Amino acid sequence: MIRHVTSRGLQSLAVLAVMSFVVYGLMGLMPGDPIDLMIASDPHLSATDALRLKALYGLDRPWTERYLAWLLQVLQGELGYSRLYARPVLDALLPALGNTALLMLTALALALTVAVPVGIVASLRPGSVFDHAVNLVAFASVSLPTFWLGLMLIVVFAVSLGWLPASGIEDVGGDGGLAERLRHMALPVATLALAGMGQYVRHMRAAMIGEAHHDYVRTARAKGCSPARIVLRHQFRNALIPVTTILALELGGLFSGALITETVFAWPGMGRLIFEAVMGNDFNLALSGLLLATAMTLLGSILADLAYAALDRRVSYR
Amino acid sequence: MSPHLRSLFAALVLCAGAALPATAQPETRAIEARTKDELVIGITQFPATFHPNIESMLAKTYVLDMATRPFTAFDPHWKLVCMLCEKLPTLENGLATREGEHGVALTYTIRADAKWADGTPVTTEDVLFTVDAGRHPLSGVSNSELYRRILKVEVRDKKTFVLHMDRLTFDYNAINDLRLVPAHIERPRFELPAEYRNRTAYDQDTTNPGLYNGPFRIAEVVQGSHIVLERNPYWDGQAPAFKRVVVKTIENTAALEANLLSGGVDMVAGELGLPLDQSLAFEKRVGKDWNIIFKPGLVYEHIDLNLGSPILADKRVRQALLFAIDREAINRQLFGGRQPVARTSVNPLDGVHADDVPTYRFDPARAAQLLDEAGWKMSGSVRRNAEGAPLSLELSTTAGSRSRELVSQVLQAQWRKAGIEVRLRVEPPRVFFGDTVTRRKFPHMALFAWYSAPESVPRTTLHSTMIPSEANNWSGQNYPGYVNPRMDQLIDAIEVELDRPKRVALWHELQQLYADELPALPLFFRSDAFILPKALKGVTPTGHQDPSTLWIETWRWQPDSDPVPAPTEKSPSKEKKVPAKKGKP
Amino acid sequence: MTPVAARALRRLRHDRPALLGVAVLLAMIGAAALAPWLFQDPEAMDLTALFAPPSAEHWLGTDELGRDVLARLAHGGRVSLAVAGATAVLAAVFGTALGLLAGYHGGRLDALLMRLTDGVMALPLLPLLIVLAAVDPAKLGIPPESMGDEAFAIGRIVVIIAAVGWTTVARLVRAQTLSVKARDYVRAATAIGASPGRVMRRHILPNVASPIVVAVTLSVGNIVLVESALSFLGLGIRPPLASWGNMLTGAMTVVWSAPAQALWPGLAIFLTVLSANMVGDGLQRALDPRAGDAEF
Repeated sequence: MIRHVTSRGLQSLAVLAVMSFVVYGLMGLMPGDPIDLMIASDPHLSATDALRLKALYGLDRPWTERYLAWLLQVLQGELGYSRLYARPVLDALLPALGNTALLMLTALALALTVAVPVGIVASLRPGSVFDHAVNLVAFASVSLPTFWLGLMLIVVFAVSLGWLPASGIEDVGGDGGLAERLRHMALPVATLALAGMGQYVRHMRAAMIGEAHHDYVRTARAKGCSPARIVLRHQFRNALIPVTTILALELGGLFSGALITETVFAWPGMGRLIFEAVMGNDFNLALSGLLLATAMTLLGSILADLAYAALDRRVSYR
Repeated sequence: MSPHLRSLFAALVLCAGAALPATAQPETRAIEARTKDELVIGITQFPATFHPNIESMLAKTYVLDMATRPFTAFDPHWKLVCMLCEKLPTLENGLATREGEHGVALTYTIRADAKWADGTPVTTEDVLFTVDAGRHPLSGVSNSELYRRILKVEVRDKKTFVLHMDRLTFDYNAINDLRLVPAHIERPRFELPAEYRNRTAYDQDTTNPGLYNGPFRIAEVVQGSHIVLERNPYWDGQAPAFKRVVVKTIENTAALEANLLSGGVDMVAGELGLPLDQSLAFEKRVGKDWNIIFKPGLVYEHIDLNLGSPILADKRVRQALLFAIDREAINRQLFGGRQPVARTSVNPLDGVHADDVPTYRFDPARAAQLLDEAGWKMSGSVRRNAEGAPLSLELSTTAGSRSRELVSQVLQAQWRKAGIEVRLRVEPPRVFFGDTVTRRKFPHMALFAWYSAPESVPRTTLHSTMIPSEANNWSGQNYPGYVNPRMDQLIDAIEVELDRPKRVALWHELQQLYADELPALPLFFRSDAFILPKALKGVTPTGHQDPSTLWIETWRWQPDSDPVPAPTEKSPSKEKKVPAKKGKP
Repeated sequence: MTPVAARALRRLRHDRPALLGVAVLLAMIGAAALAPWLFQDPEAMDLTALFAPPSAEHWLGTDELGRDVLARLAHGGRVSLAVAGATAVLAAVFGTALGLLAGYHGGRLDALLMRLTDGVMALPLLPLLIVLAAVDPAKLGIPPESMGDEAFAIGRIVVIIAAVGWTTVARLVRAQTLSVKARDYVRAATAIGASPGRVMRRHILPNVASPIVVAVTLSVGNIVLVESALSFLGLGIRPPLASWGNMLTGAMTVVWSAPAQALWPGLAIFLTVLSANMVGDGLQRALDPRAGDAEF
């Protein structure tokens, strides 16, 4: 087990290194660099100014060379400065990370709270009216463009009804208290939860139905266990395996944010930060953000394996 | 659609929302929800840095203009005024004197009451430091033109200094780009000049009051979300009416409109607000509840023509292109008549505008005649030359600008009717400005805008030495590649002509030449829409690159019945209209 | 017809949601394919009739430039569906090839390919798409002359989305290949000296086909959504070429004054994704060897 985890971890580090090179290279292939943009937006910049600034930002060197410099710097634990925000990368990254984690975790929790029971109930009678209805709603949830859903929620709950704020993370000059925070989180969380709910319902339902065909369920039934006990103790526990796997793979999303939802609700999270950094050729910031999310997904997939093993063992002991 | 059907659609799209009556007038909701001494402004961009001289970005200027003051600026009437100085130096009042063969010495005195918000007076020490930093090659200051022109700073006393400039131009006393940074805070951080851009207090300690000398200071920054400004206790000018101003960034304009309607923001800034078509729709729907000001300004929407292309090298083809499009109709139908059609790059509001240049009113017959003369004969639905090659052009423009996307599609359709085939190529701004136009890679036409200042001399855009090339490291903005010795002479002459009537005559000839030769197709002067609550008074759009927030102290809440005070100027204003330099695209 | 396909078809015939999905998708594809003959010119504009309500001439009214919304919807469908179809197939081909190679050869190659898959899967999707969308084709040696035309615009989006979308298929195919490889008839084929290429083509591919078909169908809906998200960010299909994504994005700014503008493309996207999912789901049930006939 430990050997397996170590080797997966080492492989993941190698993947991370390769991905950093690929992403750096792709960003290097984007046309226009910051100084070109500056020349375009400031007629007073002369050729000498451009050369001076390019040398200052190190942009006059080929990207492969800059990548090596960046890699050495990172290996020494130094993430460098964000070119865009003129501050250390972590100072720019951490507040956004907090906002994103808050948003994504709440949305995930809400989606699961609804999806798991609904998925279980729907799985009890496949083909029933309730099951069909759940299926339809679940399909609808995965079929709506998020920006459209988000704007509609704003139109209804912020503009027409005036119940909730349309955007932002807190009231300006408010007390910053829990109630205020929750009010601001309501709409973006609802958008993400509604959009994510469908797939969890469907996975839960499918996993439950899959388990229902297994022999141990029939055996338990034959032994006279109550249906509720069968569903909850046996089916549910095993059905959690695929659902947990899917959840673990979502771990990266908690760190990369939800760009579209963040844009619509002016939520200053990781999605927007990475977007700005990529578009603004802020290599240090973009790479740190992207690789953090990548690392978390890789970690998630290792955790998924572990969870799988753990849950599976309990099953085999029975 | 019948009213019934229409409301059904609305209900479908907006779910229950549109069908429900709004619970309160949005405007009243907005104001009641807040104490009246606060103003929340919505803009579409978040400033990345706050240092006045590092990087140029409209959102930064918009916010900083409430908290810092440039030395000189153009007021809403496009007159050069002193903001931080006591009096504009002129040759007439003796504060400006000729020096050497071309140079000039300018004597400025810092306003006696100018103080940083920590109580430290603004002194010549700050001027010295700002110029030092500006001239240092490693400081990261992006715009070094002004600092290059300053030969020497001579300090008379704590408040008075003399700038020795290399050249006497007609706009000699405009030093709009000189934005002071406080020496008592920034000098220690400048010890390692190469590290300065990462150590400046503007980004490391943004809420330090000592960084600001305007009516407000930045009190809180929530990255990517909003900026809170509070009063500068040491501000001695006209007292601002608000205790606090909040600038919220909402990039998506549909969401920004929702915030306006739901009271999340009080007003939308024209400088960085809703696109014109959205504003017009807003006006049509709820305009009576708001005060909406459409301000056409110095944003010159035009199409640069690549004169290196054999097709466009022919003047008749360029003129035909302009005759073939109906700019008036576009302005009327798409922009509610709010975007004046441009004749040349000079704005009609500018004092040097010539009224007698050709207008190229929509004239398909004239366009057809010119194209025939140029050898492009109609064959089928497209014109072809003697070799049978079709008259086919490519129009590049930037993605993300909705009105530009709409305009380019209409132009394409109108040119098609004239037998000109136009392909559209839409690129992200960083590609468009970073590569396509700056390296003159557009094959035929490029649609974009110039921001300029009043009476700005088009040296960088029309002088033959300003054609970007590999050799000059792609500097200069004569993207069409326009070469005309007479134009070069006119530009050189205008810059140093101090006599206004003579200068106006030169300007007229320049516009005649421009309108005849058409190195670029003039389209419109863009309008900004300022959406203000009815009770907010004193906001005066400027129409040029100095945003309205430079006069934030004249803004106030006021019920409709009260008289509206005109924005006051804080300095003696006998100055004549004086020009500044070219702005940014 | 193979017994598997026959059983699948029999099951599908009784699967009402899947049949409905097939019907809707076919109708959409039909309308899109025949758009140039069925509908008006989508680029013909009338500046005097902006946002006109539905009429006999314009069944769904006109848009912000006075163009026929129905015609644009149908032509937008051509682009959106072409992008979705082409991307799904391209991703499937690429994913299948890599999955087969990894699963069949195993060992080092397998580890390498699977770690590559991990890496691509792990990178956050949208930021990666943004980077890809902004890459300069000229720096990759693509001639600039070809960049202006429609096929290039569509092809670019297809390649970008497919470049990150192949991973699911690759994993599925690899897993399936591993299990099929161990079966007797494959061993027999290998033993009598069939080349690896032939074994993969003749013996393994037919057995991994059904999960591929399901995955492709399910991905179609996703791709339509991704295209609309890219349009929202200004990186998708660009005007004057209409796609459902850019129509919806354009309509967002006028959502209060002309809500119907957002309704139609939104509905088109919704219906397409919905029916693609229903079909995919139906296929999954129909092809599932474990499931009984009676479930639906």
